[in-house]
Amino acid sequence: MTALAGDYARALLTDIGAQSAQIAPFPAQHPAVSWALSGAMALTGWPDQPPRMCAAPLAACGDGVLLALTSISEHPLPAELTGSKLLGERAAIAGYGRQGAVSAGGSCRFLQAADGWIALNLARPEDWDMVPALIGRDIEHDWSLLSAAVRTLSADQMVAQGGDLGLPIAHHRFPGEGRPWFEIVREPPSTAPTHRAHRPLVVDLSSLWAGPLCGHLLHLIGARVIKVESASRPDGARQGPAAFFDLMNGGKESVALDFANTAGQAQLRGLVAQADIVIEGSRPRALRQLGIWAEDLVLEKPGLTWVGITGYGRTGDATDWVAYGDDAAVAAGLSALITGPDEAPIFCSDAIGDPLAGMHAALVAWHRWRSGAGGLVSIALHDIVSHCIAFGGPLMPASAADRRLTWQQVLDRQGVIAARPQARTAYCSARALGADNAAIFAEFDLPC
Amino acid sequence: MKTLKLGAKYRSAVCDTQIMVIRTVPEPLELCCGGAPMLGASDAAPEAAALDPAFADACLIGKRYINADDRIELLCTKGGKGALSLGLVKLKVKQAKALPSSD
Repeated sequence: MTALAGDYARALLTDIGAQSAQIAPFPAQHPAVSWALSGAMALTGWPDQPPRMCAAPLAACGDGVLLALTSISEHPLPAELTGSKLLGERAAIAGYGRQGAVSAGGSCRFLQAADGWIALNLARPEDWDMVPALIGRDIEHDWSLLSAAVRTLSADQMVAQGGDLGLPIAHHRFPGEGRPWFEIVREPPSTAPTHRAHRPLVVDLSSLWAGPLCGHLLHLIGARVIKVESASRPDGARQGPAAFFDLMNGGKESVALDFANTAGQAQLRGLVAQADIVIEGSRPRALRQLGIWAEDLVLEKPGLTWVGITGYGRTGDATDWVAYGDDAAVAAGLSALITGPDEAPIFCSDAIGDPLAGMHAALVAWHRWRSGAGGLVSIALHDIVSHCIAFGGPLMPASAADRRLTWQQVLDRQGVIAARPQARTAYCSARALGADNAAIFAEFDLPC
Repeated sequence: MKTLKLGAKYRSAVCDTQIMVIRTVPEPLELCCGGAPMLGASDAAPEAAALDPAFADACLIGKRYINADDRIELLCTKGGKGALSLGLVKLKVKQAKALPSSD
């Protein structure tokens, strides 16, 4: 069973109701070859060992998403921009390499529990403050001490506790049934008139990678994008490599608001009221606490398309869980497609849930706006990875190992080796924080 | 009075508030919400408990609350009308930290 980018593009377009779109010809590349050439394979494995094959067609899926997006855009994406190559962009810029049971970015680690493995992501020194509550006792900020402490604890209990604590944590497992890749949470009863002639306004409220990538792609296909950040807690990626921040956010206008006071909240509401598309990357409760309810806004303004990107979705207990790309992928079972049950688990590529989610989010957001359907669309990192895994066909642990072998043989026969991750160069620098406040406040008559 | 356990959950006897212990001290404490002692998992709710209006400042989900010497820290896991206190002394909201630069 081979899973090709063109087929994935067709499947996605059918899922969103755009099955009549014409997909540009794309080489029928074996998913193993796509994986190797994407740069993601080089990011998977132990540093002192050869890179690893993954039994999920993730790179082919990445190519497929952007094929689908370009097929419904008046301004197609540049031909050299393929979804598979985006998977390794952050690592290429930041200089990350594969690190086995430590994520490429360095903040997420596999820890062995009494009854399995967990992946715990501690992206800030302050996240360590929550670890005593996770394990039920005081501990110094040291991964080897934590590893020893976790060894006697239950993985399920830690994941439940971590969920309550807002810690990104996942239980290493084999993939389950494939999830739908998006959910329409709320949509207006009737379609708005379609807006193909007008350039949509995207208000991008997101940070780090998934959401900003979505905004970046929408900008590339013609949208005007305003990136909105909290003045006191701006996008943390501003502290990371400038080249990556510029790549994701170059071309967007920048507004900084003070979310803590009523004036800032009114300005945020005013901007959101102008948007054709909103990208949200936080847990739903964050904006709700500021008086912004996406569920209501998409009904009040038919045609408004709101894409909410979370780790695990917007309903039930999961709505409060935090996830980043590495741990969400573990939760979807991805790491179990790289090593067998008798081997310690390792991470797959660099935070792979993020670029995959960002690309899928752009596809559904663009289509919902373009068709006038609008509505609140939920994109969950976990579900995106689960869906891409399922595209490769049904798997059991034994057949996953067989597929890894078979796919590696494809590479060997064709003489393909794992390419280094690559990144595009940003076409312009990102705007300084809040650089466009005055102009945008004036343009949209925002309350001061 | 009870000694709080790291990671343990307590619920309010007089409102919806639930918290989890992030940092604590070994000594027993009078952990209250809405003016009434909070309940552990195995504690039964008292019969006629009412929210004390002097402790009705509300507790917000996701916020962390600390005491004066910052040795006690509680995470609100479910919001409610009552204010958290140790005895009669209210806890205050801990300031939010910067978002991560990467994940």
